[in-house]
Amino acid sequence: MTVQLETSDHIATITIAPSEPGGLVGLESVYSFSEAATEVRQRDDVWVVVLSSDGNDFCLGASPEVSEVALSVGPLSGQVRIAQALSDIEKPVICAVQGRVQDHGLEIALACDLRVADSDSTFAMTQVLDGAMPWDGGTQRLPRLIGRSRAMDMLLTGRRVATSEALEIGLVNEVVEQGKASERAMELAALISGHGPIALRYLKEAVLNGMDGTLDQGLRLEADLSFLLQSTQDRNEGITSFLERRDPAYRGQ
Amino acid sequence: MSDEPTVLFHKEGAVGRLVLNRPGVINAFNVQMRDDLFAALEAVRDDPDVRSVLISGAGERGFCAGADLTEFGTAPSQVIARQVRWERDLWGLFGSIGKPLVSALHGYVIGSGVEIACLCDLRVAAEDAVFRMPETALGMVPAAGGSQTLPRTIGQGPAMKVLLANEVLNARSALKLGLVHRVVERDRLEEVSLELAESLSKIPPALSTAIKRAVSDGLDMSLSNGLDLECRLARSVALQNEWVHET
Repeated sequence: MTVQLETSDHIATITIAPSEPGGLVGLESVYSFSEAATEVRQRDDVWVVVLSSDGNDFCLGASPEVSEVALSVGPLSGQVRIAQALSDIEKPVICAVQGRVQDHGLEIALACDLRVADSDSTFAMTQVLDGAMPWDGGTQRLPRLIGRSRAMDMLLTGRRVATSEALEIGLVNEVVEQGKASERAMELAALISGHGPIALRYLKEAVLNGMDGTLDQGLRLEADLSFLLQSTQDRNEGITSFLERRDPAYRGQ
Repeated sequence: MSDEPTVLFHKEGAVGRLVLNRPGVINAFNVQMRDDLFAALEAVRDDPDVRSVLISGAGERGFCAGADLTEFGTAPSQVIARQVRWERDLWGLFGSIGKPLVSALHGYVIGSGVEIACLCDLRVAAEDAVFRMPETALGMVPAAGGSQTLPRTIGQGPAMKVLLANEVLNARSALKLGLVHRVVERDRLEEVSLELAESLSKIPPALSTAIKRAVSDGLDMSLSNGLDLECRLARSVALQNEWVHET
């Protein structure tokens, strides 16, 4: 798998192209992915991230070598875990998928905030069929996204889910005509990158961290972040531009 | 009548089959059934030849019509009733079984019937199945975990409607909400649910236990603690695989 990173207009596009036999993610690619993820995380001019894949299939999983290395280090290391590296990005991440989105490939997609799928996509966690289980958040993010009951179905049976079902159960946000997922993901990224970047980061933090605690803790986090936002220039710009009936020009400050 | 076990247990290959067996009263859940189900679940938990479990209801009319109301208020005292509830924690016992649990649901699936189903991992329903939680209408709250398992199964909004307004769900709407995973014609329920239980019985027990723990315990934690749990479980599964390959 090769990893390409391009940025323009506050949107960073990470494109992966599986190069290992069988469309698997190899160890070298994991390291370059981790570098790309760190770069988009740190760059102030990147507000939204789009992840897509060049192959016929989005991603069929990780090579045995990658699994071995990942299992030998701690769970929260984004160095050897692509899904973890993605979830470490505080900015919105949109994922465009096509073909098979399988095993580690699905774990990667789950670590993004929005998922757009080509109509030919299929989704499966088949590790159980090989006597193994997910190790990059699959058993944690799948139930949080589609509920424990449906997650248990996919995890225990390893069955393949088509786009119509994926849309119905909330596994993907949108299904588009075949070949159009990346284009649609870019459209969404363009729309979202017009919003205040600090507000976007805080929103993501409020939703994700808010779900970790009690409702009361979540409400307090939301209120705190909202108060903090009032101190930013972007918040001022948001209100001013609204009153002046023009598009806001956010600067991330 | 009282000699007839209220829960039948037999093995079909690697599948442990439990049948709620009070067909005359649509398998209404009574104290005897609680005790028999408890014993049967302990048996399937401890029997290494049982690799998955299928729970169904005897008779044509339904899986389980709910708690047997004729026995309500017969406990010697509430203090003893509460003590027994935790000494014989049937509902906790379900959660402690690492083997995949499947329920086959037909006809009436009411009250504790829904709660038993919700304690299983996968649910197959016949087209004629109807689901209802009548507790509030009877001045009660669900006591077999329904107020906890139902929102975790179908989400808070739909669960509120089922619990507060006693909404009746048919098989199709249950499928749409994720209350059941498959809907099949009535005469194929047995075949499809057994097939599913058989395929799940092929999962190594240590692996199904790990996956179930990762999902269930993981949802009770923060995401980062859940990821940590997943990692530890995945590592132990990988180590066991290595060990099995070497010996």
